[in-house]
Amino acid sequence: MIGLKGLLERRPKLKVLIYAGKGGLGKTTLSAASSLLLSKEKKVLVFSTDPQASLSDVFERDVFGKGEVKIAENLYVLEIDADKRINEYVASIKKKIIDMYKLDKLPPDLEEYIDSAAAEPAMYESAVYDAMVDVVAEGKYDYYIFDMPPFGHGIRMIAMADVLSQWVEKITELRKQAYEYGRVAASLKRAKLTYEDEILNELQYIRNRIVAFRNIIANKETAALMVVVTPERMSILDTEKALEMFSSLGLEAAGIVVNQVYPPELAKRPETPEYIKNKIEEQRKYMDEIKRKFGDMVISVVPMLNREPKGLEALSIIAKELWSPSRALEDYI
Amino acid sequence: MGILGKIREVIEGMAIHGQATSILRIKAQIDNLFMIITLGDMLGIPLLPPYYSLRLLPYMYPNIQTWKMYMLRERDVTDRIA
Repeated sequence: MIGLKGLLERRPKLKVLIYAGKGGLGKTTLSAASSLLLSKEKKVLVFSTDPQASLSDVFERDVFGKGEVKIAENLYVLEIDADKRINEYVASIKKKIIDMYKLDKLPPDLEEYIDSAAAEPAMYESAVYDAMVDVVAEGKYDYYIFDMPPFGHGIRMIAMADVLSQWVEKITELRKQAYEYGRVAASLKRAKLTYEDEILNELQYIRNRIVAFRNIIANKETAALMVVVTPERMSILDTEKALEMFSSLGLEAAGIVVNQVYPPELAKRPETPEYIKNKIEEQRKYMDEIKRKFGDMVISVVPMLNREPKGLEALSIIAKELWSPSRALEDYI
Repeated sequence: MGILGKIREVIEGMAIHGQATSILRIKAQIDNLFMIITLGDMLGIPLLPPYYSLRLLPYMYPNIQTWKMYMLRERDVTDRIA
């Protein structure tokens, strides 16, 4: 196994690490461990959105919704409060309408429409991706590590980026056409046309954002999609599905990290309880399956600790194995 | 409005009123299409991610009521006769 070290050697231009997949497998822990490793030499931002199982817990500091917080030298954490971001965004849209048309309050049906749009799950994902584009575009850090929320429909934005971008181009054309007709009619009638430039600007903006997001995620040289798997039946099946989904979106996972693995030598010790021995026996079977199914994609195997992976000290144990694994994948089988 | 203005209106009315109306009608059709594309989810046709289409809402606001009424109006054969 090449470890994170090997991955970086293979892809020297790597800037963005994305931990993706199902919840509860240790994405957040591995994101934090990766950030700890990379911050030894470069400036790193680790980014998460999930208020549960969060970086706040792992780093034992409350960072949720507090902007970019410095945790250690070169290591910064940003835990986005996506709900707050959506609320602010929606409030700004409402305010804009009220101000532009000097209303006392929004008509109830419009208010309802905006609120229901804000409550859609896709909205949450879009807001997260939009925040990602913001931090990467700012370019203040050498490495960006994203602890992604479990994927929903929003990720399809990647597959749709090309379509959407062409689509927005078409809409823009349509708008220009409307503008031409409007201008002629307006000059004939000596009326004023309103907001055409603003609409075109907004369309351009939307297109740029969608394309920017796609470019961050889909650029194989600068971004690596990491999938976390545990030696369990469900998790292996889920990973297979995730890999399938990625390829259907034109993406490619850069590496797989096997997490929460019991050290195999435990089974050989006489004092180890039968309970753990059975667990390790089962694990061997699944490690074999992982090797057969994912083979070279597995870059590291990270051990199950004898306590929760919290705080910088525990993280550094995980980080060490993640960076350059101390044994071969075969040793677990 | 002075007498010149009145004369101007009359001449305009004779010369270009029809043209202006038909141009406005085309524009209205294009606007309609545009609104379906961008705010379609208001009528249950989601095309653009709502996170982004909301940005356009303020500029479309003045047309929304008439547009929705136009789109959701029940249509039947008597419409064609009328």
